[in-house]
Amino acid sequence: MKCLLIASDSAEVLFYWTDPEFHKMVQDQYGASQEEGLRPPAFEDSINTLFAPIIISCSTMVDRLGDSYTCFTTESDHIYVLHQFDECLYIAVNGDSDEDEDDLRRKIFVMKKMMEILFGMVTLSSHLLRRELRPQDTEQRTRLWKRLQGLLETYSRLQANDQSFLVEAVERLVHPTLCEQCIEFLERRLVQQLNSSSERAGEEVLHAFILVHTKLLAFYSSRNTSPLSSSDLLALIVMTQNLFPSDPDLDVPGPEDVESASGPEMFYTPEPSPTHRSSSGSDGPAGGDAPMFQFVDPDIQIAEDSLQTLEVAPPPWAPCRVFLEVSLKEGLYPMVPHSMYCLPLWAGITLVLLTKVPSSGLAMSVYVYLEAFAKLEKRLNEGQEGVAAARGQPSIQELRSKLDKFIKALGPCDIQISQLQNVWSEFKRRAFTRGGLTKELIPWCKSMKTQLCGVYKQCFLKETSRGDQQLPPALQEQAQAMMQEKLMDWKDFLLVKSKRNITMTLTQNLTYLEDFPGLIHFICVDRSTGQMIAPSLHVTESSTSELGKGPLAHLIRVKVTTRHYLQNGYATVTLRDGDFYFCYFLWFENEAGYKLEEVDLPVLADDSAPIGMLARDYYRKLLRYYSKNHQGEVVKCYELLSVHLGVIPTDHILQHCRHLASKLWEPSRNPLL
Amino acid sequence: MAEPLMADSRRCRLTHFFLYDGSKVTGEGDPTRDGICYFYPEKTPIDQQELLCGQLAGVSRCVSELSSSPVRVLRLRHTKFAIRMEEDLFWALGCSVDFPTVSMSDFLDQLINLFCFYNGPVRQSYQENSREVLALCWSRYLFYLQAGSTELHYIFSCLHTIDSTHIDPLLLLKASLILQACQRCPLVLAGCILFRGKVVSSQMPPDLTVMVMAHETQTYNKDERPNEVSSRVPLSGAVTSTTVHLTLSQLQVLRSTNVDRESRSHSTPSKDSKLPRTRLSRTLSDTPSNDSNTDLEADAPLTPLRLDGLLSPEESAARPAASPPPSHASLRSPEISPFPNRKGPRSGADEEEDEDEKSYYYSFHGGGSDPGCRTPGQEGLAEGLGTSRGTSGNICGGAALPGVGDTNQTLVPMTLYQHRVNGLVLVLLVEPRLQEDADAMEEVYHSSLASLNGLEAHLRTVAPGPPGPQGPYLFAHYDCVQNTLITNVSGGGGRGPGGSFVRAAALLHSHFWNSEALQETIIRSATTAVYATRSVAQETYFLQHGGSVRNSGVPNHQDTAFSLPSKARHRLLKHGVSLL
Repeated sequence: MKCLLIASDSAEVLFYWTDPEFHKMVQDQYGASQEEGLRPPAFEDSINTLFAPIIISCSTMVDRLGDSYTCFTTESDHIYVLHQFDECLYIAVNGDSDEDEDDLRRKIFVMKKMMEILFGMVTLSSHLLRRELRPQDTEQRTRLWKRLQGLLETYSRLQANDQSFLVEAVERLVHPTLCEQCIEFLERRLVQQLNSSSERAGEEVLHAFILVHTKLLAFYSSRNTSPLSSSDLLALIVMTQNLFPSDPDLDVPGPEDVESASGPEMFYTPEPSPTHRSSSGSDGPAGGDAPMFQFVDPDIQIAEDSLQTLEVAPPPWAPCRVFLEVSLKEGLYPMVPHSMYCLPLWAGITLVLLTKVPSSGLAMSVYVYLEAFAKLEKRLNEGQEGVAAARGQPSIQELRSKLDKFIKALGPCDIQISQLQNVWSEFKRRAFTRGGLTKELIPWCKSMKTQLCGVYKQCFLKETSRGDQQLPPALQEQAQAMMQEKLMDWKDFLLVKSKRNITMTLTQNLTYLEDFPGLIHFICVDRSTGQMIAPSLHVTESSTSELGKGPLAHLIRVKVTTRHYLQNGYATVTLRDGDFYFCYFLWFENEAGYKLEEVDLPVLADDSAPIGMLARDYYRKLLRYYSKNHQGEVVKCYELLSVHLGVIPTDHILQHCRHLASKLWEPSRNPLL
Repeated sequence: MAEPLMADSRRCRLTHFFLYDGSKVTGEGDPTRDGICYFYPEKTPIDQQELLCGQLAGVSRCVSELSSSPVRVLRLRHTKFAIRMEEDLFWALGCSVDFPTVSMSDFLDQLINLFCFYNGPVRQSYQENSREVLALCWSRYLFYLQAGSTELHYIFSCLHTIDSTHIDPLLLLKASLILQACQRCPLVLAGCILFRGKVVSSQMPPDLTVMVMAHETQTYNKDERPNEVSSRVPLSGAVTSTTVHLTLSQLQVLRSTNVDRESRSHSTPSKDSKLPRTRLSRTLSDTPSNDSNTDLEADAPLTPLRLDGLLSPEESAARPAASPPPSHASLRSPEISPFPNRKGPRSGADEEEDEDEKSYYYSFHGGGSDPGCRTPGQEGLAEGLGTSRGTSGNICGGAALPGVGDTNQTLVPMTLYQHRVNGLVLVLLVEPRLQEDADAMEEVYHSSLASLNGLEAHLRTVAPGPPGPQGPYLFAHYDCVQNTLITNVSGGGGRGPGGSFVRAAALLHSHFWNSEALQETIIRSATTAVYATRSVAQETYFLQHGGSVRNSGVPNHQDTAFSLPSKARHRLLKHGVSLL
């Protein structure tokens, strides 16, 4: 029984997702109180009514006590996790004990991350985000919510089945020669050809990568481009998987899967015909309809019918607007607009292109101004006025002239821009001619921020604003064909390889059974690059889900709870649990491989962002924290998690870990480097 | 009352406690304050009280309805609450966020149980007494539960026992003999002997001992009777008695323990706990000394409970089942939780009754020198009532688990008999009839008087002695069966190794509690390494000072953290803790 709900502080539902069981529970609870003969209320209203007291109580607590709920647990082990982002309250519920508090909090933060990827800086204004998440038009709302629900389900599926999403790091396909060839091909042929084309409509390919299921075969970034952050890359993999689900259970459809497989099956047609492309070419509702969402109850079906509105098919080859972090010499800019093109090569193999949007400089400017107003507001709130409030970069005068120019440059006056102009004039009048920088400016700071976000939204989120900006379909088709030709001979190999990336029996340089008797499994993560190595786990031939559902998979999943110790500042943990012995190590090295001294790690609060890389990059903060004492040195952070048989003497286990740690990242032996 | 409470509350970081009666606030116009039965800290402004009570009770009701199950824990960013909901009554106990949730819930259970033990069912007491009178009770129990312990004591919510390291074992034997002598009278259920507020010997399950001690601690500290029902017994000024309330399950445990060994049989246990007794005397002398051994061995293969610590060395060596470690599945299985209040699991309750035929031994420190004192068997558990299940502390009928039914709601009045000799107190749980039976009363009194005097004289002369061997390490050894703690950590909290040891122990204790199969773990930060191990019956935590060789954190078998297990085994032997 699971649910995720986003509500505004006025208890308006901005988004919900439920599993069938929760859906039924709500209907049962609500249906019972309805008079006979009346049609049950819309599901959205029922769920709103049920959660409203919690949401209202939550805002009362914030207002009057300055504290907010973070978690409820009931006697039957139902867990409710609550988290407030600005004026939006996220509630995640689990009633079947297969997710713990950390999982739920992670889900909430991942949802938030997805919002940032999809809506960019609009998420910085609760007012605008509310409108964005809950469009007045029911049809539009249904479409949007379905898409978000699909993303959430895809994430949950990956998190449950995929090791790389379990530890939140990217896994590469281990085949150095092919990887190298592909990267070269992307660089010399594909990206060059696309970027030199005259038809590219101002779009410029910055990154190109090939995914085999969730594993990365090759990644190329053009020169002088800011690197793609691990967090963004993981989020994009979720989006790609949402478009072209490679649910392992669907690969070999059993009798019971036939029904559920029929939906996504169209994506597996080797050479998509134009009609298929139309629904697969964008992150549309068809892709979002993951097979997990099945209705069991006829009542539910009826209620859901109201949601089955006519779906407007998105235009073919439409890119997906994504907002990614860009780090330039001048600084870090979050949520800069990009276009993402997902080109399916074959079922399970996808080419992803990320292009720069011509007007993306505008987004960076907006961010600079947003930040300036936020800082000013903060200082005013702290009681600093006048000169004290004005210090900092850019100076208030500089801000004034820059913003004046910015608004002028925005050009044609439409409603949004003239509104920004009006608010800005009013702000200037108050700040520079009348009272100066006083507390009275606080609402005007807020208002400026909202207006800036509005302009941003206008430029990057409106359907109309991007109609003409995209790589023409012919060009995309060309790229797809080129890549298909290149990988044709490798296709089947890649699909198998992605499931047996590293096996416990043999990889290129390590024979685990011989070198490490008693070692059952390990996961090694290089947190500085956000990449992981782990043997593939296969419980049975038929169950190809990487983690499977066996007891071992369960144990590994549980043992990721060592994060809990890391949260409390413990970087080394060993656990003897049942018949197994688990070890977890986190350490730092410099670039030369010299092991750096351990320091006391920060202890995180209970409700802080979960440790990982997808939602909030904990390790990046950790590296920054650690680097403070290692100025001028490149610091790398590694993690090793191992599972041994419990009967192996501890000394041996530790020696194994030591060997693994040194062998896996040894440049000469490591198959990845 | 409030003053010392404030000073002490820092220790377990208790921030709030309240009891709210929702039935008093039903209409729109009813002010929330009408429902507030008790609120701690008492000086909290009323609107603040109303806010907390109203919001927490309201939101908990809503969540409970959504999940069809009462809320147990409610967390906020800066504080967290253990919650009990029972009909319209709503209890909340607030602690700071770093206090383990498990311990916080235990604390609330203990508090409610204490109240019910001395005052009977909550609703009824509020009908019969004024809020002011009962407020005094709540604050007294809060004070008692928080008084004089280290933070580790809160984390494990364990009993305070006398430091046995400086006491002649014969004295402990003597104490348990006194208790047995009292049990010659069939109206005596069980007893315990306390010295200066600490347990010397007890025949009761730990949860009952805690409650019995509350009364003693108060009379010892204040030397005046509390305002509750009590009657002077004509025997002597040293003897007092007061009415207490036991749940049926508690009563069954006590009555079934208190059986005639001769008529007992493994295959056909007597189901009638109120069997008229054929003999009065059940002392050491009339128990064949090898009998208990046979019993134990017969039971041993079925019993995952490790009795090694309780048996004499020869016995444990001779016991065939002592060597194989308990299977993981049974680690938290119900057979080790005969006590209704034990922090056992809430699952698997059904198997319990089959396992009731096991040996349990409640006496402290008596160790192997006193085999006759073992009380093998829990027969006479009335099956139909089925209340000996692990009800997780719903002593006064909390939100009853399905299947337990109403039986737990029933509280049976009993009498607490107390005989004081200076700092020494003999506390007996007796049937109320004893008070009317002057002869029996006299017999109990006189049978124990001389021995009590002697014991008191001896205990008084025992010098507190130097604190146990300190050594360059910290440890805590928690006995889950007897609910006792041995530790060399004196203060607790704060910074430094003591503080980090306590924090690590809190973290690991929660993990042990949540994970059935976890046996041992080592956790290490840059400055601290803590080793923890547990068996079905005990949890041990160990930290070694010094050895602050800076590590890199990379896997290294020479890392000092990994030598902790062998160090712990070696060092703790001299504290009487065997980790072998």
